[in-house]
Amino acid sequence: MEKTSSNLLWHGVLLAVLLSFGYSIVLASQSIEYNWRWERVVPYLVNMEPKSAVAPFDGVAKVSADGLSVVVTSDNGEPDRAYQEFSHLIVGDGDLVFEGDVIVTREDWRMGPIMNGLVVTLKISIVSLFFAVIIGLFVGLARISSNPLLKHLSLLYVEIVRGTPLLVQIFIFYFFIGTVLGLDRFTAGAAALSIFAAAYVAEIIRSGIQSIPAGQMEAARSLGMNYSKAMIHIILPQAFKRTLPPMAGQFINLIKDSSLVSVISITDLTKAGREVVSGTFAPFEVWFTVALLYLVLTGTLSWMVKLLEKRLATSD
Amino acid sequence: MIKEYQGNDMIVATQIDKFYGNGCHALKAVSAIVHRAEVVVVIGPSGSGKSTFLRTLNQLETISSGSISIDGTDMYDKDTDINKLREEVGMVFQGFNLFPHMSVLENVMLAPLKVSKRNRQEVESHARQLLCKVGLETRIDNYPSQLSGGQMQRVAIARALAMKPNIMLFDEPTSALDPEMVGEVLDVMKGLAEDGMTMVVVTHEMGFAREVADRVLFMEEGQLLVDDTPTTFFDNPPHSRLAEFLSQVL
Repeated sequence: MEKTSSNLLWHGVLLAVLLSFGYSIVLASQSIEYNWRWERVVPYLVNMEPKSAVAPFDGVAKVSADGLSVVVTSDNGEPDRAYQEFSHLIVGDGDLVFEGDVIVTREDWRMGPIMNGLVVTLKISIVSLFFAVIIGLFVGLARISSNPLLKHLSLLYVEIVRGTPLLVQIFIFYFFIGTVLGLDRFTAGAAALSIFAAAYVAEIIRSGIQSIPAGQMEAARSLGMNYSKAMIHIILPQAFKRTLPPMAGQFINLIKDSSLVSVISITDLTKAGREVVSGTFAPFEVWFTVALLYLVLTGTLSWMVKLLEKRLATSD
Repeated sequence: MIKEYQGNDMIVATQIDKFYGNGCHALKAVSAIVHRAEVVVVIGPSGSGKSTFLRTLNQLETISSGSISIDGTDMYDKDTDINKLREEVGMVFQGFNLFPHMSVLENVMLAPLKVSKRNRQEVESHARQLLCKVGLETRIDNYPSQLSGGQMQRVAIARALAMKPNIMLFDEPTSALDPEMVGEVLDVMKGLAEDGMTMVVVTHEMGFAREVADRVLFMEEGQLLVDDTPTTFFDNPPHSRLAEFLSQVL
């Protein structure tokens, strides 16, 4: 009983802290006389401008009796053009129309630049994540291999990648490797991100494998499984489960790090944000929106990982 | 002392030595023969090399010199496929080593499916039959974490048997168990012995050794000191160190 009432109190305090935090943002923006114009951001998210259909030639418009279709008859003997399923009729029955005149308009929406940027960020994150896991798995296995070549090569890779800034790696990939191999910017950016994240994934996988008791491998080998079968069926599934939490953290980092590819002119969410700021003069709104969209991506990812963790917990 | 290979000799270990990387001399010229359908129990103080010896028999430990043949196949011949050989030699561990991410049935079925590539239906009915034999037919869908130690060890025995081995190795199978669960595991092992399984058992269960074993080995400091029938072994110890050891544990 006492516990619940004090919990309630702390939740109240939490709410008060959040409210005062929000209020201080309002105060801060007032102190610099900033006018919030959230509506300016909306067209850059979703473009709701109606799509219009124009006459391809000069002629006469004929609207059907029920008003649901228009036929434009050409003055120069070109085949008739019919328009249906529109939301606004611009011409009247019997109107003369000239080439380029708007006949009808249709409700439509297109993704604005920020949404396009979000899609690019999502795409580059998924591609990099996929390759990071594959490369990381092999590097992680090489790290624990007894073969000196594999062991030292993988260690060198991990040390080099972890010891240099991602931004520098992206430049190297774009300006050096990209030029040598003729990579486009997206490929170069995705490759840099994959190689960078793979080094961390490799370390996570290595520690995951090493955390599985040696008896598991012994039991598998004693049943006649070779090393790779034992890895695939026994060790990796258990290691995978144990490494999910750090792996989720790494994947979230990858999504956030992908914002750095904007420096090689990939129009990802961050670059789109920068471009929209210069078009709208609404930097606060745009950057808050961009931050929120990153949060949606990372939040969805960690939610999916939680679901997976729950499903894998059945054997505990 | 060293006999020629005969069709009846399932395990022939000849003059095996084992050095660890740190220079520890774990096995010193150990020679032993296990015949078909024989139950051999290995006894000795901890650190005597008995577990190491057992683990050399399916090459979980490699040997530094000497030779080991399993059912006539030289384990260290370059043409020998150790994975094939291990299919013939089941092993049960002190720590069970069940696969925690698989149900009981999956634990038993995995190796026959993935290693022997046997037909799934046949494997499943065999697995159910084995789990029935160890008294766990009601727990097939449970995960290892839901079982008691004794139940886990019985699953481990069924898992090893699923590969239809000719030899079973037991590495202190009851040492990690609560006392009241020791009996159920020993009963399963007795049943196996009665079915004619060739078994090598490292254990501290003197009662089991006396009752079930055909021969009992005594190891100390990497040496095999005694290899005799249980009657002589326990009632008339042929070595002073054994007599001393028995007086301490019995």
